[in-house]
Amino acid sequence: MAGGIRRAVIVHAGWFMLGIALLVPILDPLLPLEWKIAGHMNRIFIFAILGLGLNVVTGYTGLLNLGIAAFMAIGAYSYAILTCDIYPFRLGFWSAMPITICIGAIAGVVLGLPTIRLRGDYLAIVTLGFGEIVQDTLKNLDNITQGTQGINPLPAPTFWGHALNTQDKVAWYYLLLAFLALVVLVSRNLEHSRVGRSWIAIREDEIAATCMGVNPVKAKLVAFAMGAALASTSGGIYAALFSNSGEPGNYDFQISIIALCIVIIGGMGNISGVLLGAFVIGGFNSIVLDKLTTLLQQMGMVNTQNVLTVPGNWKYMIFGFALILAMRFKPEGLLPSRQLKAELHEAEEDERAENARGAA
Amino acid sequence: MPEPLLSIQNVVAGYGPIEALKGVSLNVRGGEIVTLIGANGAGKSSTLMCVSGLLRARKGTVHFDGADITGFKPHTIVEEGLAQVPEGRKIFPRLTVLENLELGAYLRRDKQAIKTDLEKMYHLFPILGERRKQLGGTLSGGEQQMLAIGRALMSRPKMLLMDEPSMGVAPILTAKIFATIRDLNREGMTILLVEQNAHLALKIAHRGYVIETGSIVLEDKAESLLNDPRVKEAYLGDDD
Ligand SMILES: Nc1ncnc2c1ncn2[C@@H]1O[C@H](COP(=O)(O)OP(=O)(O)OP(=O)(O)O)[C@@H](O)[C@H]1O
Ligand SMILES: [Mg+2]
Repeated sequence: MAGGIRRAVIVHAGWFMLGIALLVPILDPLLPLEWKIAGHMNRIFIFAILGLGLNVVTGYTGLLNLGIAAFMAIGAYSYAILTCDIYPFRLGFWSAMPITICIGAIAGVVLGLPTIRLRGDYLAIVTLGFGEIVQDTLKNLDNITQGTQGINPLPAPTFWGHALNTQDKVAWYYLLLAFLALVVLVSRNLEHSRVGRSWIAIREDEIAATCMGVNPVKAKLVAFAMGAALASTSGGIYAALFSNSGEPGNYDFQISIIALCIVIIGGMGNISGVLLGAFVIGGFNSIVLDKLTTLLQQMGMVNTQNVLTVPGNWKYMIFGFALILAMRFKPEGLLPSRQLKAELHEAEEDERAENARGAA
Repeated sequence: MPEPLLSIQNVVAGYGPIEALKGVSLNVRGGEIVTLIGANGAGKSSTLMCVSGLLRARKGTVHFDGADITGFKPHTIVEEGLAQVPEGRKIFPRLTVLENLELGAYLRRDKQAIKTDLEKMYHLFPILGERRKQLGGTLSGGEQQMLAIGRALMSRPKMLLMDEPSMGVAPILTAKIFATIRDLNREGMTILLVEQNAHLALKIAHRGYVIETGSIVLEDKAESLLNDPRVKEAYLGDDD
């Protein structure tokens, strides 16, 4: 009963959020300068796509991946190399994007093949190492990756011959929103597909899943490939948006951790949860901190000599603290998947049952 | 004598230095209920796990339905038509009853037939129908056992492997479960049943094997075993 009502509320809230998201570019010009958010939303959409990629691997399949940023980097650099004038390919956005996504998927399989049999903690360590290796490789190949300058400029998507430039803010906004909507649809379909059910079965109990006929190696490889493909998508779009591949340091461990926070604080294995997580964490990262910095600057409270007065420098401490609080008070995330909620409250219920038995 | 559906030949298996099976041989013919009885740690579950692929046989062979399935991975063995109801049930506690049953049919693609089979399971175990939206882990032990049986049947297997379906189940439900096993067999299902409750198992089985510390020590018709003094003393207690 209550579950049905709760679901209805979430569905309505979802449509409501979509409505707001569609209206942001229209309302934004009406807002005073310090309240404008449309520009920040782009990053949030990209982080949401990255989070949904990680959600496939960690949320559905239960494999802790600490190196998802590597696949975002692979996407960004693939897109850059495929499109930039200094390389022979010189593709446009629409032909480079599908290839970028495929390269991501292949990279996912390449990481997956040797590691898929590892369990839990070991897999986490290997993915963490993979993230570092990709970053170091990009750094060392600076004659290809252009080091800290990044590969640039990159072509923007064209619509009927018209290329979006950085001035077309509204068009960019809707393009990114459309990509996010597409990724949400893909995630939804995956979740309810055969392979999606095999992921959830593996997460719940791998041995029982194999006894149902699930091939765990294949299912995990597909999860790795899909997660990497989505992360690579986010990287490709990121590069296109900024017309630059970025530098290797843009895709460091912190990005992987932000993606993980989005999935965990939002709600593992639940698409709406991940979207909410991206909005809360991305919003905090790029809107709240940014506005706070401007505000403090206006009040003359930011002292460039004193790093402690810059709110951005407090970011990871605040993230860490938020994560601790979340794990203490809402370990299943803001919008958990049903299974996760069931698991985390089992202990409480056992306790309650114990107490009831004791009282009787 | 017809070719057995399942044939285990001289299987040796173990865990690290422990040799749990020291050359086990056992046959099950199509349409039979065969029971494997023995004390704690005798190697009953290990024998089943060698068949279902969860434990690797170090020596010996397992043949099923004319094919050598020794060393097959668990998921391919399900594809061959061997479903198991594992020890301790191993249902998915955080998935609903319905989702558990649907996962049982994971390898099937005939949506319509899966639906009819779901209805069959609800008919076989009405409690599962009433609880279809409930999480598997919230069912009682006996209900979970029914769910595990229903889930295994959802793959439309040629044969069922069952590991101690009476474990942790109240006597009334145990009786109901054993009656269901007999009914399933009467409709043609071949069953290898592992039990510690030798009395119950031998009552519904056609034939039985007794295993002691990794070796088969007795093999006979079920009713002969029920009356065998050695079995009576070791496994049936003094109550009859
Ligand atoms: N995972 C394991 N690791 C090490 N030894 C094991 C393992 N599983 C079983 N064994 C050992 O193998 C032997 C046979 O165990 P098995 O589980 O097959 O017995 P069983 O007949 O099913 O017993 P029970 O009636 O208690 O279920 C025992 O000595 C047991 O200690
Ligand atoms: Mg056992």
